[in-house]
Amino acid sequence: MRRPGRQHSQGIALVVVIVGLLLVPLGLRAVNVAARSPNAVASYIPSVESPRQRSPFDAEAVATLREASNDFILIGDSMAGTRIDPGHLTRLIGGYGAAALFHPGCGSAYSYLTFKNLVVIPRLRPKAVIFFFRDENLTDPLWRVYPGSLDRVARDREPVLDEILAARANGTFYRLHRAVRALYQYDETRAWLQPILINAPVAWSAGWRARKKLLETINNEVFTLEALRPMAAADMQTGTGDAFEFAKNLSTSVLPEILRLAKTSGIRAAFVRVQRRPVGNAPPNQPPALQSYVRKLREYLAANGAVFHDDWGDPDQPLSIYEDGDHIGRDFRRYYTELFYRKNPEIFR
Amino acid sequence: MIFHSLDFLIFVVLLVPLYWTLPHRWQNILLLVGSYVFYGWVHPWFLTLIFATTSIDYCSARGMDAWPARRKTCLWLSIITNFGLLGFFKYFNFFVDNVAEVLALLGWQVPRPMLNIVLPVGISFYTFQSMSYTIDVYWRHTKARTSLVDIATFVSFFPHLVAGPIMRATNLLPQVETARRFSAAAARDATLLIAWGFFKKLVIADNVGVIANKVFALKVPEFYVLWAGVFAFCIQIYADFSAYTDIARGTAKWFGFDLIKNFEHPYLATSPTEFWRRWNISLSTWFRDYVFLPIAYRLSRRIESDRMLFLDSTTWAYIGGMLVTMLVAGLWHGASWNYVIWGAYHGVLLGLARVAGAIGRPSRRVQRWLTPFQIAGMFVLTNIGWLLFRETEFAALVRDFGLSPFGSSVLGRHTGAYLFFLALLYSIPLWVQSFWAELRGRDLVSAIIADEVRTDARVVTAQALLAGLLFAGVLVLHSVTSLDFIYFQF
Repeated sequence: MRRPGRQHSQGIALVVVIVGLLLVPLGLRAVNVAARSPNAVASYIPSVESPRQRSPFDAEAVATLREASNDFILIGDSMAGTRIDPGHLTRLIGGYGAAALFHPGCGSAYSYLTFKNLVVIPRLRPKAVIFFFRDENLTDPLWRVYPGSLDRVARDREPVLDEILAARANGTFYRLHRAVRALYQYDETRAWLQPILINAPVAWSAGWRARKKLLETINNEVFTLEALRPMAAADMQTGTGDAFEFAKNLSTSVLPEILRLAKTSGIRAAFVRVQRRPVGNAPPNQPPALQSYVRKLREYLAANGAVFHDDWGDPDQPLSIYEDGDHIGRDFRRYYTELFYRKNPEIFR
Repeated sequence: MIFHSLDFLIFVVLLVPLYWTLPHRWQNILLLVGSYVFYGWVHPWFLTLIFATTSIDYCSARGMDAWPARRKTCLWLSIITNFGLLGFFKYFNFFVDNVAEVLALLGWQVPRPMLNIVLPVGISFYTFQSMSYTIDVYWRHTKARTSLVDIATFVSFFPHLVAGPIMRATNLLPQVETARRFSAAAARDATLLIAWGFFKKLVIADNVGVIANKVFALKVPEFYVLWAGVFAFCIQIYADFSAYTDIARGTAKWFGFDLIKNFEHPYLATSPTEFWRRWNISLSTWFRDYVFLPIAYRLSRRIESDRMLFLDSTTWAYIGGMLVTMLVAGLWHGASWNYVIWGAYHGVLLGLARVAGAIGRPSRRVQRWLTPFQIAGMFVLTNIGWLLFRETEFAALVRDFGLSPFGSSVLGRHTGAYLFFLALLYSIPLWVQSFWAELRGRDLVSAIIADEVRTDARVVTAQALLAGLLFAGVLVLHSVTSLDFIYFQF
């Protein structure tokens, strides 16, 4: 038979262990204070990023755009950059022409911030803003978001984007995630501890001379894309899974916010899906899930008053105009620009 | 639902208080409903399979009671149906593919109808567990139960449903049937076990898993890089699987259940036999009792001569039984030839160990000096096994074994060393725990929690500190790449 006294002390011991489990990690806050860089500032997306030193917002770009008062503003990554020649497009459309806000290696979060902070908030009034994207990128806000990648287009606080990224990164219970993160500040500890851990074995693995650039060399020479088995590419071709579920991903993407801003500021938004690299003489493979995704995206954009143009299957964009990956060759930039202008009277009317 | 998700945490936090307010019968019903919610969380159609397995085994066992003359028929009904379901969902594509390959070799080209569905997670685990019930009833080790709720709760008990440990009916069913009382001491153990499990999964397994995945994604790895990757996988699979078991055991303790320990520091084994006594204990004992012993018994009765090639008939029966058992155990892991090869490899190792044992044993004094070398040797053999297990392409496997340390470039050596040390760094807590257990008789965590009646301030403070440090470790060091539990696919 159990003694009540013993049960009582067992109960207290259980509570102490649970309290210890919850309280000890609070020590991370104290550790962070000692380890924090004096130049670190709170991130504009605190739910997914810890305090760090940031590059300033590109106020100069706003001034340049305001001065130019372009009729059309184009936003996109290298897909747009290798396709559109802004000078040639300006010549084609006349008037105040087009401004290109292209940034290599950016995703939809960057496009959203560029549109909001460089166009909508400065109250520019172009006839249309054209967004370039590939497949499901518009509904994947986390794609290409890493520390510093959004600095030049982000204000001091970006609560809407923060909410979207947190919801996408942490699912249904993202507010709980955010609260835990804010309470323990573990990401800040992680930011300085992780590099120490990653770098520690370098000293044990190579001589003094090789040590300096060992990690860089391993990444650039051992684990290159060419050195990997083709299964990664095969996975991409299969293209199944959550990424192509339009309805599921829409609410945690920047797309509704872009459309809302466009509507409230009276700017026409146009979206151009560039074609991936064709396979031989045929357009790139498009699995059923992606086809369904694109159909729903088209319907959604139309219902919200935006223009949608799809390059997929365009016979005027054969494999021969492509250079590396999905990029178009430098020699064909003007060709694509003309094609783009000719095939989109709805945008340039 | 997966353990390392907030969904699971919230699910358990809601379930536990409700569970302890209910009377025993309702506790079982709640557990059953909770287990079905847990299992059908992503793919509700999985529930039809587990319900089918449960119903068939329930009816088979009842049938054995109702018609004693038809006991064997009832047993076969259970075995055929269970293996039929398992075979169809897990091995259909493998079977069709291999038959088509053989026919193609004979010059017949036949179409290959492929089953394009998700493999129901945990099907191998709960099928074996459910089958153990009917076999035990047939062997009269336990009696047939009348309560379908109890049987369904036994089969679907969510903490260990998808990756074990596989519990026997003789062990878990009495726990389902007996009234349970909340124990604060068990809950304290459970909290530490769960914290340790999450640390092993999210910090150790997932971080070293990234290294293994990178290496095994290389078209042509160099010698040192390959074996650093194998070492990383060796750590990953142990940390990952034992983490699942710890979380399962911890969660079960919160509900008043005791699940068996599935691992006993397997990388400190001195022989293949000892390795299998320490690795996936619930599965290896399942295979021992239901596959190996019946086969070895039948073989030993069929081998007529007392000695053949210097070995007695018992040793031959052991070797034969072990080879068949390990081939089946390999195939149990997945529908791929590399698992079969891995099973055969371990079967051969176990056979050789038996032969070596039959030849002679060193004295106790020599044995003490030999132990570190035996551990190191067995660790190397285990890693060779993990290469067979992890590498799914046969041509790549042949190439891997052809690699030479002398053909490696300087960068290859540096990369291999870097990846090895990185994997070692992440796995330090695992090694400390294992060596502690070996040298002190019990593991680091158990050394603090095992004596559960102790409530003196020093022990409780150490436990609270350990739990907090593990949680802090998970928060700070968890891998960005969250990998599924490896044994989910089996």
